Amino acid sequence: MSDELDEIQAIFFEECAEGLTAAEAGLSAMKAGDADAETIASVFRAVHSIKGGAGAFGHVDLTAFAHRFENVLDEVRAGRIAPSAGVVKVMLSSFDILSDHVAYAKGSAERPNDTAALTALEEILKNGGAGDAGEAPAAPVAEAPAPPPAEEEDPFGFTPVLVSLDDFDVVAEPAAAPPAADGDWIVCFGPSRAALSNASEPMLVIRELESMGAEIVHVDTSALPGLRDLDTEDSYFIWKLIAPGTLSESEIRDCFDFVAPDSLIEITRCEAAPAAPVLEIEIAPVEAAPTISDDTFVPIEPIVSAAPAAPQLRVVEVDDPGKPARMEAAAQTIRVDLGKLDMLLNLVGELVIRNSILADRLSPQDQQRVELPELARLTRQIQDNVMSLRAQPIKQAFSRVPRMLRDLGEATGKQVNLITTGDTTEVDKAVIEKIGDPLTHMIRNAVDHGIESTEKRLAAGKPAEGTIHLSAEQKGARIFVRVKDDGGGINRERVRAKAVERGLIAADAVMTDEEIDQLICAPGFSTAESISNISGRGVGMDVVRSNVEALGGRVEIQSVPGQGTSITMILPLTLAILDGMIVKLAGQRFVLPLASVVEAVRPEPGQVMMTTPGNEVIEMRGQYVPVKRATDIFGIADTRKPEEALVIIVESESVGHVGLMVDTIDDRREVVIKSLDQNLHPIRGLGGATILGDGSIALILDIEALVSHPTAHRFAMKGMAA
Amino acid sequence: MTKASDTTLDRKIITFSLGQQTFGIDMRAIIEIREWEEPTPLPTVPSFIKGVTNLRGNVVPVVGLAERLGWEPSKIHSRSCILVVNINGKQAGFLVDEVADIVAIASAEIQPAPDVEIGEPSVISGLIRITVRGKGEEKEAGQMVLILDLDALSLTKHMDIAA
Repeated sequence: MSDELDEIQAIFFEECAEGLTAAEAGLSAMKAGDADAETIASVFRAVHSIKGGAGAFGHVDLTAFAHRFENVLDEVRAGRIAPSAGVVKVMLSSFDILSDHVAYAKGSAERPNDTAALTALEEILKNGGAGDAGEAPAAPVAEAPAPPPAEEEDPFGFTPVLVSLDDFDVVAEPAAAPPAADGDWIVCFGPSRAALSNASEPMLVIRELESMGAEIVHVDTSALPGLRDLDTEDSYFIWKLIAPGTLSESEIRDCFDFVAPDSLIEITRCEAAPAAPVLEIEIAPVEAAPTISDDTFVPIEPIVSAAPAAPQLRVVEVDDPGKPARMEAAAQTIRVDLGKLDMLLNLVGELVIRNSILADRLSPQDQQRVELPELARLTRQIQDNVMSLRAQPIKQAFSRVPRMLRDLGEATGKQVNLITTGDTTEVDKAVIEKIGDPLTHMIRNAVDHGIESTEKRLAAGKPAEGTIHLSAEQKGARIFVRVKDDGGGINRERVRAKAVERGLIAADAVMTDEEIDQLICAPGFSTAESISNISGRGVGMDVVRSNVEALGGRVEIQSVPGQGTSITMILPLTLAILDGMIVKLAGQRFVLPLASVVEAVRPEPGQVMMTTPGNEVIEMRGQYVPVKRATDIFGIADTRKPEEALVIIVESESVGHVGLMVDTIDDRREVVIKSLDQNLHPIRGLGGATILGDGSIALILDIEALVSHPTAHRFAMKGMAA
Repeated sequence: MTKASDTTLDRKIITFSLGQQTFGIDMRAIIEIREWEEPTPLPTVPSFIKGVTNLRGNVVPVVGLAERLGWEPSKIHSRSCILVVNINGKQAGFLVDEVADIVAIASAEIQPAPDVEIGEPSVISGLIRITVRGKGEEKEAGQMVLILDLDALSLTKHMDIAA
């Protein structure tokens, strides 16, 4: 659990860093005199999001400070305080304190002294920025001391990604890595003076050990005195050997049979985990070594330290049991710029294509001779691995919700039950990072505005405990992330009245229910009577919409009075993997999302019937299913008889089952979705394109857009074009 | 060519032919030149968009430049090639008849395009006379090159039509 929490916290701190960057950029722009509404709103959103996340993780100080800061920003945003030089200066220093607070929450810095900043903020709130006149002359001076944020921010705008490198733990601590492999014996041998005087030749013992496969890895000569003090009769060396783990301890011990008993003999097994055996190494010698005289024991210390770095690690272990684990975690993941991953993915795609070209050009014998199949297999594996680097289960974004709900429940006194579905849906890393903020706001809105108080729920005949259903689902080339509550639904009259009051719409505007629902996404819109820590400032849904639109998606709101509200983020999968069926349509290859395919049939003569010119249906077990041809879809000429074609029955959300007439089904494979709008613009009916194994491009069909009536797509296109 | 200071050769253009005309595009916008390869056609797009092709994992639209400029579509032949350019961060491939040369020019010598020249004057940013390599000493018999304004050719300008 704590690991999981750490992971979520790490995401939060990444978001904080992003938010701080945005806030700093905005404040700098304001300082430069560019204080337009969008800039102020962006600073406000950033601080608001940091506050929200901090609250969820119980960072009390950070929340408190961000809240005060936000109060001032809110006034500035509302135009009640002018963003004069003095005010901006205070905000900039507050921003620095905020950065320090983030660092403090992260545990990487001391708690900042925010008294002065808080006082300054309060001052502004009280005077409405009027005290500014006196401060204004100081503003130019303030430029120099305004220190960069304590938080290290990335000036290049990299989006880091965590890549797990499970196998690298040994490399992570090269200095400490024992030369012995797991399970090998570490043998330390320091003959005593008595041993030498007994004429037991250490060389013989070592030779015997070597004959069994042991190897000297270290000779400790630290006990060797200066030449003047050297006693030729004494022994000063301690040999350290590594013996194969296949030997038994008694076999090794047998070699020492004739060695005087007061010699140093240590036999320990090298354990698998480098950190774990540390204590054993310390304990084991005491048991394993026969009697050790005091003077021989002394020189052992340096050996052990030269060996598997045991003493140092042991100290760490004792002092702070949590530390080694953290060091390990840091060693096993590295941050990689997302752009580099994309580049890698593209290059690997090229490699796959070159592979297929080789396969085409070489005869089967030549392919075998150059071991092409092996190369192809490796390439395929590389491709799979690179793809899996970017796609992450959406669980990462969802996992912070339960904790959030608990805290929200505590703060509001509402009981909320959470149901999560589809959290294994794989989503592009960039998408996961971007939906964190909107998701927080959606959940908070659902609890604060959606779910009614327990009394109201009981009065309405609903269970006392509210339910929030959080789901993720991939449909074609889109991902649907939905937060659905069973609360009171959107109070449209109130939304409308508020919108009129705020001047967002005219008092006599004619609006559909859907249009009124959309108003809750307007910047600064809130129906809450009081501003609470949870919501009510009216940035929440604005954040949701702007983040989702920045990703090229859209937000859908459905609300039934008395039954609840469902807010859906519909996101494109810029670089998602799609399980697709490759079909030929009028000679051209297309990819059909396999998830929407129900079945494929080859029609019997007469099974496909024309209802009106240009409209056909297919009879499927007594049901009539409309059939679409390529002609209907793209205006490609297609006059074939139905019997010569295949009809693929697909499931669509808007019109149920629909048949698509295709020439052939070629293949089934996972494809990488490439968006068309990267270099062109979205095209209706297409969810993107993909590059097939031979380097050619196949277009991905967007079933929903294809089967529904064109006019129904007006809104969708608007959303995508934005 | 080397005397006056206002004739410093400060720009490089790549020249190519479309029908009888010679055009130039600023070298800085060129990503690469590719052999013609039949692109994957796209539905419901203006006919000058020939389709999309795979440029090292990127899906890049291919534009019939002749049609885009309102002329007869280019006929594909062995020297047809695709000039891949970067227009405001978006990549596009232009089908051209033949790539001729890379020429250093002086910005100062570029003349503004006469408005009457083509139906859509905005796509031509200027005219310049260049000497053709290989055609010997006859410096006077230079060749007129129409320099294209890539921003005006941006495909996303047609977003409204497609949407």
